[in-house]
Formats: sequence, C-alpha cells, structure tokens
Amino acid sequence: MDATVITDIFGSYSPIAPMIVLIIGALLMPALYFGFKKKAPVSAIALIVMVISIAINLIMLTGANYPAEYASFEGLFEYNAFSGLMILLFQTVALITLFVSISSTETTTLHFGAYNALLLIATVGMMFIGEANDLVGIFVGVEAVSISSYVLVTMKRCDSRAAEAGVKYVVIGGLSTALTIYGISMLFGSLETLTLSELGPALAANGYSWPLVIGLICMIAGYGFKIAAVPFHMWAPDVYEGSSTPVSLFLATGSKKMGLVVFFKVFLVMFVVAKSMAGFDIELIQYIFAIMAAFSMTVGNIVAISQNNIKRMLAYSSIAQAGYILIVMAVMSEYALVGGLFHMFTHVFMKGGAFLIVGALICVGIGEKITDYNGLAKRAPLLAFAMMLFLFSLAGVPPLAGFTSKFILFSGAIFDADGSGVMTQWVWLAFVAILNSAISLYYYVRVIKAMYIEKPSKDASGKIKIPNTFAIAIAVCAVLVIVLGVYPGPILDLCADAAAALI
Amino acid sequence: MEGSFILPAIVLVPLLGSILTLFMGGERQKYARLVALVFALITLGLTAIVMLGGDDLSQFDFSANWIDSAGLKMSLLLTVDGLSILMVFLTAVLEVVVVAFSYKEGDRPNYFFTLLLAIEVGLMGVYTAADYFLFYILWEVALIPMYFLISWYGGPRRHYSAIKFFIYTHVASLVMLIGIFALVFQAAEVNGGLIDFSFAAVSNASGAFPALFQTLVFGLLFFGFAVKMPAVPFHTWLPDAHTEAPTAGSVLLAGVMLKMGSYGIIRVCIENLSIGAQNWQSVMIFMGLLAMIYGAYACIAQRDLKKMVAYSSISHMGLVMVSMGCLTTTGIEFAIFQMFAHGLISAMLFMVCGMAGHNIGTREIPLLGGIAGKMPVYATFMMFAFMASLGLPGLIGFWGEFGIVYAFYDWCVANDVIYLLIFCLLSLLLTAGYYLFAMQRTLFGRLTTKIDFAHVHDVDKIEMVCLGVLALLVTVYGVWPDLALTMINLYSFPGVI
Repeated sequence: MDATVITDIFGSYSPIAPMIVLIIGALLMPALYFGFKKKAPVSAIALIVMVISIAINLIMLTGANYPAEYASFEGLFEYNAFSGLMILLFQTVALITLFVSISSTETTTLHFGAYNALLLIATVGMMFIGEANDLVGIFVGVEAVSISSYVLVTMKRCDSRAAEAGVKYVVIGGLSTALTIYGISMLFGSLETLTLSELGPALAANGYSWPLVIGLICMIAGYGFKIAAVPFHMWAPDVYEGSSTPVSLFLATGSKKMGLVVFFKVFLVMFVVAKSMAGFDIELIQYIFAIMAAFSMTVGNIVAISQNNIKRMLAYSSIAQAGYILIVMAVMSEYALVGGLFHMFTHVFMKGGAFLIVGALICVGIGEKITDYNGLAKRAPLLAFAMMLFLFSLAGVPPLAGFTSKFILFSGAIFDADGSGVMTQWVWLAFVAILNSAISLYYYVRVIKAMYIEKPSKDASGKIKIPNTFAIAIAVCAVLVIVLGVYPGPILDLCADAAAALI
Repeated sequence: MEGSFILPAIVLVPLLGSILTLFMGGERQKYARLVALVFALITLGLTAIVMLGGDDLSQFDFSANWIDSAGLKMSLLLTVDGLSILMVFLTAVLEVVVVAFSYKEGDRPNYFFTLLLAIEVGLMGVYTAADYFLFYILWEVALIPMYFLISWYGGPRRHYSAIKFFIYTHVASLVMLIGIFALVFQAAEVNGGLIDFSFAAVSNASGAFPALFQTLVFGLLFFGFAVKMPAVPFHTWLPDAHTEAPTAGSVLLAGVMLKMGSYGIIRVCIENLSIGAQNWQSVMIFMGLLAMIYGAYACIAQRDLKKMVAYSSISHMGLVMVSMGCLTTTGIEFAIFQMFAHGLISAMLFMVCGMAGHNIGTREIPLLGGIAGKMPVYATFMMFAFMASLGLPGLIGFWGEFGIVYAFYDWCVANDVIYLLIFCLLSLLLTAGYYLFAMQRTLFGRLTTKIDFAHVHDVDKIEMVCLGVLALLVTVYGVWPDLALTMINLYSFPGVI
C-alpha cells in the first residue's frame, strides 16, 4: 500500500505514528475496564489498537513512497528499515501477550485495565528505542519499559514468589539504571555528544580515555542486566519463575530484545563507524563482548541442565540464547548482524511458543515441574508435538526456524564479510556456540523424554483441553517455527535491509 | 524449478507415507503396515527407474531455487552419480524389507512405520542432495526418528542408548557443520563473494584452497563423519544403540546409516580437499586397521549375538576406511562396493540375530546350542549370512574384501610398508574365527536345555521372503559383481593420486 496515507494523516509525526495509536489505547484501557468490568471486551480493544499499529508499521515498512529516513522531533526519532523491523518484532510479542492474557488464569482480574495499559506502554517504550537517535531517547525508552514491567511482574499479588521476583527486579533494575545514566554522563563528558551517529566519529577523533572507558563499562553493565548476559543474569530465573507466564513471555522475548537493540544501536554502530573512520583499534572491546557471549552461552546452558522447574530452565536457556546473539557484538560485521536479527525473530516464536505452552498448562492445573509433564504426549498429543517443535527449534535441529537462524548467526563468526573468505579470529567463538547447542540439546530432550516416554502419574490422566486463545497462539507459533525454518527468504531480506540501514 | 522429478519423488514419497501413517491411530492402525509397505514399494519402483535409466545419470538432476537473500544462496539440488546410486538402491530395498519384516509390530504400529519412513526420507535426501545446506538438514532429519525408534521400541536400556546415540551423532554433525561453513565461505571468496552452498560451487573452487586450510577443515569434517561411521575410538555409541534398537532400527542403522559417514568422507572430504586427504591419509589407514582388528577381537568376547554383529559392523566399516585411505581409484571404488555389500549383509545379520530374540526368546550365545535341528530354515539363513559376512567366494562379501585387500596391497607396495598387510589379513582371519565360533556354539552341538522350546518357532513365510530377497541379492551380486561395479564406474572420481 502507498505509505502517503500515513504521511497525510500524521504529518511530521508519522515516524511515531505506530506509537501514537498505542499511547491513546493505553490511556483508555483503565477507563474501559472500569466501564466493562470484563476481560474480553477490554482485551479486544487492546488487540484492535495493536493490530492498527502493526498495520501502520507494515505499510511504512513495505509500502511505496515512504521517505526512507524520515525524522521527527528535530531528528530525535527516525524511522528506517531497522527500526521498522524491530518495531514489528516488539509488536508481535505484545500481540501474543495481549492475546493470551484474556484467558490466562494467572493474570490479574482486579487490575486488568492497568495490566493492559502497562503492556502497551512497555511496548511503546521498546518501539521508541527502535527509533531513537540519541542516548537520551534510548534511556527514556528503557525506563518506560522497566518501570512498567516492575509492576507487571508483581501483579500476581497473592504469590510470595511474585513478590520476591518483583523486589529483585526493582533492585537490580534500579542498579542498572543508575549504572547506565552514570555511564552516559561519562560518555557525554568525554565525547561531547549524545547523538548516536556522532559517537563513532567522536570516538575516532578523541581516542580512549579513562572516563570514556569507565563510562562504556558502566553502560555495558547497565544494559547487560537488561539482556541478562552473564555476569548480569542472576535476576532472570527468579523473575521469570515468579511472574505470571504471559509476563515472563513478554520479558523473555520482548524486553530482552530491547536490550539487544540498544547494544546494536549504541555500541555496534559506534565501534564499526570508529573503525571505518580511522582504522581505530576496537579489538579489546570485541574481546570483551566475545567473552560475555561465550560465558552467557556456557553458563546458561550448563545451569539449565540441573533445573527441575521448566520456567527456570527456559530462563537459563534464554540467557544462553542472548549469548548466541552477542556473537554479533564480538564479530561486528553486517553479515553477522543479519543472522542476529533473524535469530531475534525466530527466538520470539520458539521461546514464546514454549512459554505459551507452559502458561496454557498452568491454566489447566498442570504444574511447572518437568516431572509434571510426564506422559503429556498421551494426554495432549498436539500440544506435546508443538512443544517438541519449539524445543528442537531452540536446540537448533533442522529444518526448524532455530536451526536456520543459528546457521546464519554462527556462520557470521566464521565468514569474513570483508571478502577474505574464512576468518580465523572468531572461529573459536563459533566452536563454543556449536558445542553449547549440543549441550542444550540434552536438557531440551529431557523435557521431550518426559512428555513422550515417561508414564503419567496415576492421579493425572485424561485428555487436556487448553483455553482457545492459547491454542491459537501456539498453533501460529508452531507454523511459523516451521515456515521460517524452511522458507526464510522474505524475513531474511527484511533483516538484510535492516542491517544495511543500521550500519 | 527444472529437471527430472524422480529424485524429489524418491524423497517425498516416503515423507507422504510417514505423514499418512502418523494419522492412522485407533481402529485404522492395523492398516498402517500396508500403507507403509505400499509407499516403500513405490519408492523402490522409482529407484528402479533410476537404476535402469542407463549410463547418463545427469538426466535425473533436479534443481530449484530456495533461499536467495542476504548474499546467501541455497538451492534444492538433487543428483545421483556412481557414488550415491547404489546407496539409494540399498536404502530403498532395505526399507521395503524392514517394513515387511516388522509386520508383527503390535505396540502403536502406526508410529513405528511413521518413524521408519521418516528415516528413509533423511537417508534418501542425504544420498541425493547436492547442496550443503540441504545435505545438513537431511542428515539431521535421519537422526531424530532413529532416536524415537530406539527410545520407544527398543530393549530394556533403550533410554540410555537412545540419548547416547543422539548426543554422539549430534555433536559430530555440529562439528561437521563448522567444517561445511569453512568450505563454503572459502569457496565464496574464490568464486567472488556470493555464498553459494551448492556442491558444485565448492568443488569448482576447491583447487584454490590453501594447504593449511585443507588440512584443518579435513580434520573437522573427518571427525564429523568418522563418528557416524563409526571409526574406533568414536564407536562406543554403536554397540549400545544396536543392542537396544528394535530389529528394523538395527537393520537401517547398520545397513544404510553407517554408510552416511563413509559417503560423507568421500563426497565432502576427499572430493574437495585433496591435499588435506593426503595429509590425513596415514590417520585414515591407521584408524581403519584399528577398527578392523579391535572390532574383530571384541566380537570374539561377546555373549549377545546382536552385540557381536554390531562389533563386526565396526570391523567391516574399518575395511571401508582403509580402502578410502588408499586414495586410489581402486580403493575408492571398492570402498563403495564394500559399503553396498556390507549394507546387504549386515541387514541379513541383524534380521537373523533379531529373530533369535523374537522367535527363540534369547540372543545370549551361551544359552543357545544345537538349534539347527529345531529350526533348520533359520539355521540355514544364519549360516548363509555369517558366510557372506566372512567373505565366502561366490557371495558379495568376498568381492568387497578381495578388492580392498588388493587396493591396500597396491598402496603398501607403493609406500614400502608391506608389513601392514599382516594386520589386514589378521582381521580377515579373526572374522572367520568369530563367525565359525559363534555358529558352532549356537547352531550345532547338543541341543541346549537352558531354554524352553514350547514357544520357539522357525522362520515364518514373510520373514523367509524378506531374508530370501536379501540372500538372492547377495548371491547375484556375488556371482556377477560387475552389476555393481559398472554403476560405481559411473562415478568420476576427481583423482587424488
């Protein structure tokens, strides 16, 4: 469709048109719930708002006649192929979360309007980060997401685990905010700019200085908490376990991607530009990220083996997945970024799908322990099959989506995009990643074994009927996990455009 | 999309069959075996078209675009040549045989046949794919159904064996994946940027690969394939997997899955990395001889018939490894011949040993004895299979061993290491020894009193047909090995020498 529709309506605000719609929706939510006093109509309106926002974004992303780089607020927010793709990712996550929250028994009924409003606000925050052109814009976006999610985590009010998770999340979140803002101030002090595109040239001109290095480390640590990379990962399992499953899903697939987007937009661009400007030496930083990546994968996977709670297991596995994506930060090439973006997308559906199944089963009274899944294949054959797809995809078994994206992501560590064929510098990282994939298979197969091979316990028998919304969402994720694996062409094209737009 | 549709059909027909049987639950599950048999027969028929299609195998090439974005090019390319055609034929024959042979399967039969057909999809795909991405995907596709086959339908220690099999081979294939990345990216540099995963793109560029690169990447790929083969010391998953797998699983595993390893070594390693192959030659010969002798020695000590046959597979795949390691045209040709021969023979062996479990009730050699009198047909087939495996002239096994010893002799003379032949001959001697020893203890002598013969029954009709077909093939190819050798000659070996 012609994108002039959007520019005609929103004028110079059109880059933030998808957010405007959502903000209006978020503000209406509590009032609507006060009026309707039922979950379904409120959720329906939230979903409609989200679909409108997605439609706007899709028109802008794929439609003709849209000014390629169109900025509003004097260049503070800018819409391009990269931000469009990331916005699409966040919207997808939010759509799934909103959709299943209707029938999830874990979500609050008392404050459902506020719950929906907070989800929308958090999504808007993430979307602003996708478009932000400035460290301040990014900081504000991250805070909008963090503060909303503190509340979302604790909304399961009568559960002591939720309270514990909430407290941990607030304290760790506060620490990370403090570190970040401190880091930003040091960075501003030494480079005298906050605009993302100017950071690289300024770095190349000024070189390293102590305040700059301290600032960078603070920022890496601060945002490292957001993506739960080792050693900043301790909060993730507790928070994912304590909060209601739709919220865990939102945090694991959405909020984590937000952190990665920040990494790409701030650090990747800064160092790649600095390197291209003056042959600036960025090897040290690359090694810092490589070590972070290697540790995240290894610690995440090894600790996941010993988990008996499936939510905690998935939490550790998503720490490992963040480690895989951090390979992009170590390699710092456009080709690796394509793989990273693609993996972010497939991760939404496979990890999201796994969390959806966990959430759906909680709704019908099946616990979170892996032993509770014994004999699931007999009681719910399709559900068990979908779970198997998601877990195999997470482990990277072909021909599923997780395999295809890992294939491209890991190859990024071996392929030298500068045209010299095989690059030996990061081959070890690819080795670590691939060995980790093999380790991860072990704990994923444990769940599959429980579902397909173990006998169900005596008191748990009979067929399982999960809520319809969950069934639909799971089916969509399962189909996408297969389709993205077998036919990744279109999404890969979008990722390639986005990577080219960013770097 | 262009070319002949026979090869895609060979891959897709079993897939269709497996999807169909998957949904044949409840009342209809007793018809699953018929459906599976029909689909396996259709696949065999399609394979026959290829086998009888004459010398021009390129007429069966199929190509279609798949992924072409972000600088990556992966295509759906399927071909057959002299290397793969016998493997495709072997897969199709063994699939029909195992599906027919498993007609008694009573526990959730529909899933059983789904898994058998799904394994065929992967195997057919691996042997026909001409694109590394497709090759890798189908390589893994063959693995997963085998895991479920062992862990659902296997023996008492099935869970342990299944997961051991899965982890071993998965780690190996991941290492192989790194090797594939390296090959493809190096080729992309030579070819000027576009990352093309097709076999042709890599082999065209392979002449320009630097020596160090070849040596390193050969090591990675070789490890990946050697675990699958399996070469000593990476073999420990095999006896466990075989002992616990159901008979049908063992037949496919030994008959065609092990050949994936040696197929990969020839197709990927030796074809593309000639300098690497020369640098690794001594390792290949050493590992081959080690597997031959270690496998044969281990056979003597086994109490379980199936485990004995499993170790004999290791020993016979050692022969293949030695033969490939010679890196001569004769060596490669007879390696392919031995892969085919061992496929047919080991299928018979595992069926016979599996039947000891089904029909007699035990596979323990010390418990058996003198059963030739009670089960004459069974004993005949067992003797036939053992004789074929130890290389009796007139049967297919003889030509494989003969050719390999000949190729190895040539290599030894050329390299002045003639004493190595002793190890080769020693293993042949041991092979004859353990088979005759096992036969003597199980078939002949005084009738055992340790088992109850009330429920023991001889080979039934369907089992007899299955074994008979294989025995016929073993004899025909044994009397007339040219049938297979002319096929193998179609393989234009790039020539390392």
